[in-house]
Amino acid sequence: MKFKTFALFVGPSVLAMLALIALPLVGVTYISLYSSSVKTEIVEVKTQVPVFAGVVQEVVTKVPQPVLDENGNPVKSWDYVGLGNIESVLATDQIADAIASDNTVDESVGTIDNLINMYYEIVDVDFWAALEFTLLYTLITLPAVLALGFLLAMSVHRAANKHFKGSLIFATLLPMIVTPLVGSLSIYWLFLDNGVMSSLLQMLGLGKVYFLKDAFSIRSLIILYGIWSTTPFAFIIFYAGLQTVAQDSLEAANLDGATPWQQTRYVILPHLAPLMIFVSMIHVMDAYRIFEPVLVFGSNLFANSLQYLTYHTLYFEDNFNKAAASAVLTVIGVAILLIPAVIRNWREHKRGH
Amino acid sequence: MSILKKAVMGSTLMLVPAFASAACMVKGTGEVNVISNSFPSAEVAANAAKACEGNGLTIKWKLTRESETEIPQALSASVTPYELTMVTNESATQLQAAGKLQAMNDLVEKYREQYQIDDSMLIRFGNDIMAIAFQVNAQNLFFRKDLLEKYGLETPETYEDVLAAAKVLKQEESIEFPLAGTYKSGWNLAQEFVNLYLAAGGEFFKPGSVEPTFNNETGVKTLQLLKELSGYMSPNFLALDTTAVMQQFQQGKIAMANLWASRAAKMDDAKESKVVGMIDFAAAPATYQGGKPATTLWWDGFAMPKSMDGDRDLAFQVMMESISRDVVENNQGVTTWLRSNYKPTRYAAGVAASARGGAAAYPMIPQMTLAHSALGNNIGDFLIGKESAAEALADAETAYRTAAKEAGYLK
Repeated sequence: MKFKTFALFVGPSVLAMLALIALPLVGVTYISLYSSSVKTEIVEVKTQVPVFAGVVQEVVTKVPQPVLDENGNPVKSWDYVGLGNIESVLATDQIADAIASDNTVDESVGTIDNLINMYYEIVDVDFWAALEFTLLYTLITLPAVLALGFLLAMSVHRAANKHFKGSLIFATLLPMIVTPLVGSLSIYWLFLDNGVMSSLLQMLGLGKVYFLKDAFSIRSLIILYGIWSTTPFAFIIFYAGLQTVAQDSLEAANLDGATPWQQTRYVILPHLAPLMIFVSMIHVMDAYRIFEPVLVFGSNLFANSLQYLTYHTLYFEDNFNKAAASAVLTVIGVAILLIPAVIRNWREHKRGH
Repeated sequence: MSILKKAVMGSTLMLVPAFASAACMVKGTGEVNVISNSFPSAEVAANAAKACEGNGLTIKWKLTRESETEIPQALSASVTPYELTMVTNESATQLQAAGKLQAMNDLVEKYREQYQIDDSMLIRFGNDIMAIAFQVNAQNLFFRKDLLEKYGLETPETYEDVLAAAKVLKQEESIEFPLAGTYKSGWNLAQEFVNLYLAAGGEFFKPGSVEPTFNNETGVKTLQLLKELSGYMSPNFLALDTTAVMQQFQQGKIAMANLWASRAAKMDDAKESKVVGMIDFAAAPATYQGGKPATTLWWDGFAMPKSMDGDRDLAFQVMMESISRDVVENNQGVTTWLRSNYKPTRYAAGVAASARGGAAAYPMIPQMTLAHSALGNNIGDFLIGKESAAEALADAETAYRTAAKEAGYLK
């Protein structure tokens, strides 16, 4: 292909990628290097607040007030802080404290206990707590989604009745159609005090189970929800892959006396391997951005996530720059997790697949 | 159709002259854009303002459930698309400290007579009138009067009484738990801490500075009280918010809670509630005998963004029209209005009693939101037994310091 033709073909997509991916990334990274605030000074202010039925409460306190310029507009500062925001998100000071041995080492207990204590001190910091659960979520859901998606695809593929097959595919895809926010809310309501699930279990004589009372049960719910909502994606990809398995290879295997398990292991699975990697990559990217269930369960106490942390920094701390730093760290995290899959892909590409 | 619309239409049909005052008094033409939270009284205000439309006046009123995040963003633009915004004591303080609101003294003077603006509606920062409030809200004691009577219990006045009553009510089989609370980890839980801590005489900051002081003995005692109370609640308490607690009441599962007055009328909503007429309201309990009710008073009102470029005069008139005396008159039961012609219903009894008892207004200090958020994120660790009270408070203090430094409050 001539270079000009190639450039004309690829140009629009490269431009779109620059405008929609590279530019925002550069922008966010740039913002994360600065810190902004409204300049304030401590001034005595009397506030009058209505209480009830004509009664007014008056409070005089010294509070920070904006410094105004000659036009009466607040003076804003925009300072370069370099990696300051990133360090603040990572809480490097606190982590250094936790690791510095003189603070944590207790001679009376063993090294392992000391390490465990150190670990608890680290995950006491928001970012590391969020990273802990985000990784846990990603690494537990990934194999589960792959395995379940594959099993579902195999079962549907083997289902004999054609009409039945159509409805089966549709039903299997349903969880993917439900918006994550709606899905999470439903789960929350199902397992709330006197929610349908809690009441049902009680009716079945299993006693009252409180699903939202500790980290273990809340985390399990979020992880189960994650598996439920993302398995259909893996299923539909694998199902499509199964349609392309060469029938003659399977027949040959059959003639050679391969058991169904051996056929799956040595014919079907190798055929689906590239798809497995594709689904893994997409799932890792998706799972690392888990947000809705954490928001809905409101349980950053039990299960936090990096996306939720960014959201919290942006809205509740109103800190645009630090939220940008948190977003940059999330992107870096996804990139690191994707390295194995990318390397594998690259090798296959070189081998000429 | 809103009650107001009915009233306006009714008046035109009957042609009763006395109702002429219900007609819109806004003079001027143009467009007024409003952004507000979405709750029943906000809808009433929106409908009242919309009734003014016509003759060259257009009103675009956005009711949002994301007001906490949407309003500050809308006001951050160099020219905001809104001429009016709804604020609470928390958001007004934040916006004022960021220099995003403008004083309305001149407009209040100009229209004081015409709209009979009550002095008690004016929110002042120094001499500047920065907001006009129309309603108050506060958490106060909701209780099952039938159950308290059954066991011969008095209405609790302090948390000691609440704990004593909870102990007795544990034997009641018709309910699941004696107590509930809006202890959802995060903002709600921190709000409970603020209520109890302030009423116990605690200070959040060193007077005249932004230095935090909540990591102290009173803070530890407050956390211990929270934990003791949570022992009588559903084990899910850290996941339960205002709506969840309201439903626990409506389902007849609990006997007492310190809940927002805005949910009081819902207790008697026969469509949702199994306990119609059984719930009574009283002042929030005090943290100690003779102390002030442990609750904070909140208000909702309207403010004008500094960065607006619309017609101030017109916007102000629309605002006053949306919360006029007629609106209050025709919607008495909707909320606890601030206007002098409001006649409190029984649902406002708890707020009234708390206010009379000297409950504090929620602190209008700019850095308070940061402390609130830092507490919300950290004190839960104590309630689940992961950390001691002192450790949890120390973590909250660290989180506050970081946030305050980044916001430019602390050096």
